[in-house]
Amino acid sequence: MVVSKPDLIKFFNSIQSEFDIFVPHKTEREKDDLVFKKYDPDKEFVLDKYRTVDPVRALFYMPSESVLPPSAKSNKRIIAGVKNCDLLGLAVLDDALLKDNFVEPNYKIWRDSSYIISCDCTDALQTCHCVLLDNNPYPDQDTDGNVLFDLNLSPVDDKYIITVGSKKGEELFSKIKEECTLTETTNSDKEIREANHAEVLKKVRDINSDFTPDRHYDVITDNKEAAVWKEFCNECVQCGACTNICPTCYCLILNDESTKEEFHKVRSWDSCQLVGYAEVAGGGTPREHRWETFRNRYQCKYNFMKSNFDKLGCTGCGRCISACPAEIDLREVIQSLQEV
Amino acid sequence: MPDKNPYEVLKADVLEVIEESPTIKSFCLKPEKPFEFATGQFLELSLPGIGEAPFTPSSSHYEKEKIWVTIMNAGFVTNEIHKVQKGDVMGIRGPYGKGYPLDKFKGKDVLLLGGGVGLAPLRCLLQTMIHDVKDYRSITVCFGARTPIDMIYQDQIDDWKSVVGVKHCCTVDRCPEGDKWNGKTGVVTVLLDDITIDPKDEIAVVCGPPVMMKFGTFSLLDKGFKPENIYLSMEKKMYCGFGQCRHCVMGKYYACKDGPVFTYEQIKDEEKIWD
Repeated sequence: MVVSKPDLIKFFNSIQSEFDIFVPHKTEREKDDLVFKKYDPDKEFVLDKYRTVDPVRALFYMPSESVLPPSAKSNKRIIAGVKNCDLLGLAVLDDALLKDNFVEPNYKIWRDSSYIISCDCTDALQTCHCVLLDNNPYPDQDTDGNVLFDLNLSPVDDKYIITVGSKKGEELFSKIKEECTLTETTNSDKEIREANHAEVLKKVRDINSDFTPDRHYDVITDNKEAAVWKEFCNECVQCGACTNICPTCYCLILNDESTKEEFHKVRSWDSCQLVGYAEVAGGGTPREHRWETFRNRYQCKYNFMKSNFDKLGCTGCGRCISACPAEIDLREVIQSLQEV
Repeated sequence: MPDKNPYEVLKADVLEVIEESPTIKSFCLKPEKPFEFATGQFLELSLPGIGEAPFTPSSSHYEKEKIWVTIMNAGFVTNEIHKVQKGDVMGIRGPYGKGYPLDKFKGKDVLLLGGGVGLAPLRCLLQTMIHDVKDYRSITVCFGARTPIDMIYQDQIDDWKSVVGVKHCCTVDRCPEGDKWNGKTGVVTVLLDDITIDPKDEIAVVCGPPVMMKFGTFSLLDKGFKPENIYLSMEKKMYCGFGQCRHCVMGKYYACKDGPVFTYEQIKDEEKIWD
């Protein structure tokens, strides 16, 4: 079914009391940047274009949260305008934080209470490289055949084709039907969607034309001692921006803020790129050199997470490239390893 | 049913504190309710407002009401824990990890090779095995420490030796002048020289500082132990204890969730396991 943009806004307005709605907005500082903000009927939002600056992970796994007792709120939320790279990121986090015997309490609450409305990309940033990971700039089924969104919107002119992906999506869709006048998806709509997909795919491919699309990640294992690591890490200042901005990083530190009366534990983001990350009491560390620390992120994303979850920890969003103050481009690192 | 919060903490009263060596203390904890764990599994012990750290209990899993934890003063948290006194309250959560696969040890000769505070988890294992001593063909305990005053659990050696089926020997790296010492002198692997065993089907369990684990493992391999029969307790930095903080990742393994006990066969190809 197809919904017009004004009708979609009408829908958002109608459910504001029931849901906290988050949508990408332009920022005042950098005109190309998009950030998730709470929906405000008076402010313009952007559902399509490309990924936001912060990963959607930050709405599900906050920089710092109490885990004992869990601080997450179970208010219903809609996160709209999520891109495929972030959906794939959430799929990794689901495996890491929900699917074992131990369930991360806050992530579970946030995840259960949230409805995800994804949207096809219609544009790309210079750092976008989902295609190098065999991912598309629009949601489709993941490698296990799962649909990762609740609802997806495919922009077609000034309308959106709605695709329902889950039970939660059906719930939202029935609400949309109450508020909006929907039309059947025509063949012409479908053709425009296909043309849009092809266009954005070409754009991301063109951006990445310098890089080999057929990547083999055993180059990381095979070249563990390669000079590539040392060369690229020369510029790294170990700030941890690349991991904080990553849609799949979830390393944490735990702080004990207990009182005599009550146990209280706070979980905060950590980064394998920070000094002392793996150091044990007494000073031993498995990563003595800076280049080993630098390399660890690549091993984690392309090797360790793959063996842990059968999914790559890199979704090709390119945020780590955008965030790096030393302008280190992970595509170039992988490319250099392929050429060793 | 709501999922159990994996960070849930049990209050534990400190019933007793024993000074085992100048740097090592044992704490007897009484959790507010019985704490079930398997030998070799670990818990996160927290000091309210200070922090927490992972430890394997040094008492058998058959004792659920009172748990002993033996701790070396090695860093910020353990330094604060060493100030804890009888009557104080601490917190425990867990148990985490897989522990020792006791079923695989049954009917076999089991060698425990420990150094320093690494004797703590091995005492847990030893007490558990002594409880069911008939299940094992023999138990050989080889413990080492830097100097005689660093050798913990000395007051229990006679009890262990009195158990039929248990052999015990110990060594110190060096004996400073004036210290009393009747055992051997030299690093812990010297004890292996005197052991006549058929290593083909013997189990070795190693726990101690990284350098001791490394050379202990190499000596056991030299003696003919199979890599799949050498069990190592891996010490890595851990926060959560259940595979979510990723600090303890060793290649495809998490030291917490997949360990902390690994066979050498499992991890021999992973990077820097001894650091």
